[in-house]
Amino acid sequence: MQRLRPRTRTAVASAGAAAGVAAAGALVWGGYRVPADLLAPTLVLDLAVGWSFIGVGLVAWTRRPDSRTGVLMVVLGFAWFARFAVAVDTRTGFVVGVLLGSVHLSVLVHLLATFPAGRVQDRAERVLVTVGYLLSAPLDAVFLFALGAQRQLGDGPPPNGLVIAPSNGEFDPAGIDLAVQGVVVVLFLSLLGVVFRRWRSAGPAQRRSLTPGAVGAALIVVTILVERTAILLLIPPAVGVALAWSAQVVLVVWPLALLLGLLRSQLDRSAVSRLIVELGAGLPVPERLERALADTLHDPSLELAYWLPERGAFVDPAGAPVRVEPVRGRALTYLERDGERIAVIVHDPVLAGEPELVAAVAAGAGLAVENERLHAEVRSQLREVQASRARIVEAADGARRRVERDLHDGAQQRLVTVALALRLAHTQLDTADSGELGALLDEAGAELAGALDELRELARGIYPVLLTDAGLGPALHSLAERCPVPAVVGTVPDRRWADAVEQTCYFVVSEALANAAKHAGAGQVVVDVREDGDGLRVQVSDDGAGGADPGGSGLRGLADRVATLGGELSVRSPRGSGTRVIATVPCA
Amino acid sequence: MTARVLIVDDHAPFRSLARRLLVAGGFQVVGEAADGAGALSAVRDLAPDVVLLDVQLPDLDGFAVAEALARRQPVPIVVLVSSRALLDYGHRVDASTARGFITKSELSGETLLRVIDGPGRPVPCSG
Repeated sequence: MQRLRPRTRTAVASAGAAAGVAAAGALVWGGYRVPADLLAPTLVLDLAVGWSFIGVGLVAWTRRPDSRTGVLMVVLGFAWFARFAVAVDTRTGFVVGVLLGSVHLSVLVHLLATFPAGRVQDRAERVLVTVGYLLSAPLDAVFLFALGAQRQLGDGPPPNGLVIAPSNGEFDPAGIDLAVQGVVVVLFLSLLGVVFRRWRSAGPAQRRSLTPGAVGAALIVVTILVERTAILLLIPPAVGVALAWSAQVVLVVWPLALLLGLLRSQLDRSAVSRLIVELGAGLPVPERLERALADTLHDPSLELAYWLPERGAFVDPAGAPVRVEPVRGRALTYLERDGERIAVIVHDPVLAGEPELVAAVAAGAGLAVENERLHAEVRSQLREVQASRARIVEAADGARRRVERDLHDGAQQRLVTVALALRLAHTQLDTADSGELGALLDEAGAELAGALDELRELARGIYPVLLTDAGLGPALHSLAERCPVPAVVGTVPDRRWADAVEQTCYFVVSEALANAAKHAGAGQVVVDVREDGDGLRVQVSDDGAGGADPGGSGLRGLADRVATLGGELSVRSPRGSGTRVIATVPCA
Repeated sequence: MTARVLIVDDHAPFRSLARRLLVAGGFQVVGEAADGAGALSAVRDLAPDVVLLDVQLPDLDGFAVAEALARRQPVPIVVLVSSRALLDYGHRVDASTARGFITKSELSGETLLRVIDGPGRPVPCSG
């Protein structure tokens, strides 16, 4: 709903005042026979109800332009006065009065079913609101034009001019009335159900705004229900009249309850100053800022997550990564500082209707949030360091396990074979001829040579001695020559770097080549090493299947290793388009 | 009567040399198997007296194969072999149904005979 302009507001207020005066005039001078003892209370109460809805509705419309509740209240006020047309003793007055006679009830249903947004939000609400409107003017039109309703004084407070009179005596008007009242009772019971369901599923902040209106609504609906059931149960009309009066009394006060609900969180602006005072007192515990915001916005379920731009992720106050995404029943408000996003508040959706309050809280807490964000960032880095330390230890253990297994499966088996061959040769020294013995010794020799090859390969895998002796360039060329996939190493700057830098770059290339050969089914690999700025950049690209998982133990281990030097590892591996591993390592 | 032996090991050069060593030592080698499943079916088909069983096989490990063989009738004598040493297996060999253990590099007809005739204890070795 757009903001209410002052001129419109004045016009509506004047029209409301005039409508009240006109309604009073119709009742007093319209020619309608109002019992003398009922005139004064009728006038006072009806004017109070109508003006209360129009006046308070205008305030609500001004203060909460985002909600349609204010508009509905104003409409209800006018509909309330429109009923009085029936008091003008002419055919036109009668027709208009009957057609508009129960529109206020339809608007009441609309208002209750959609409070506090004033907008239909689901199917149940749409059904209720539609049935509510069908039961007023359209049904009254049927009574008026099809069933021949005629003016006659009915029961209940004035103006009550509609009585269905049998036009040909073939139907029972009491039966139709009973059926209509039955539908009205079902409608109002469903309405109570909808209001109760909304109240029950609401978060605490939403309840604060729902409760005053809901309590008043329950009172009105229950009164109307008892009044209507009184007719259904054929309770004496006098009781029905009394109930109708009490419903009106509640109706006078109810708009204020609705307004209170709409403005309740706005009334709590003083909480923002309390928040600022509390923030000034210092916040030693990470969760305290979150709790202070939760208290200020009356939403204990509120959660605060800090944005870490470098990681492109949100973390909680303890630094643990959290997923922030729109979920049903939760709303997100992003906090910014100097145009940069710093945090997000995940809160009760009702607060979304209070953007100014949330903005005030955000502004008040801005510096503290920025402060806490930095703390959260440090905690998050600490967690990451702890996790990577654990992974590095695990990777080292895994490497030792692999060495043991490689020794056992390879060289050790071959040496066992050598020992057995020699023993067999020894036992056959006296019996076998020299040819047989020679064959046995050849067998032993071949196994020994194999064992030596495997030990050399294993030793090289544990640590490449060429790297220490000759540097990165020769070590990478040697690595490429031994790679089962054709690998090209570009020009490597001919200089030495710190041992840790050279080793890290070597193992990045070694792992990437092994992956290209073992997993990617690559046809060619290109290794590129260059110095840029203050660091060394190593890139290994293959033309294989892609789809490598950067979270897999091999690449994860490399990333940890690169990170210990303050560097960064990036892996681009779109499925079907090869893999590119890039390590940038700063070197002093 | 010469004992009939089945050799179970996934390393073919070892099986070949073990066969020749045991034959030279007076045993009759009735068959070879390269894994646990092969061992179980070979024992069913050949009913050997002794199974020379590698601890590390590609499918089951030697302890599990020994366990399965102990439920067979007749129960063959199981002697575990490994290129690792006895102490690498802690008390697992003692707790198993095997008659004993020989480190592969120590294998000969003589050591096998000693384990078979022994009191059911593994042959200590330097490993």
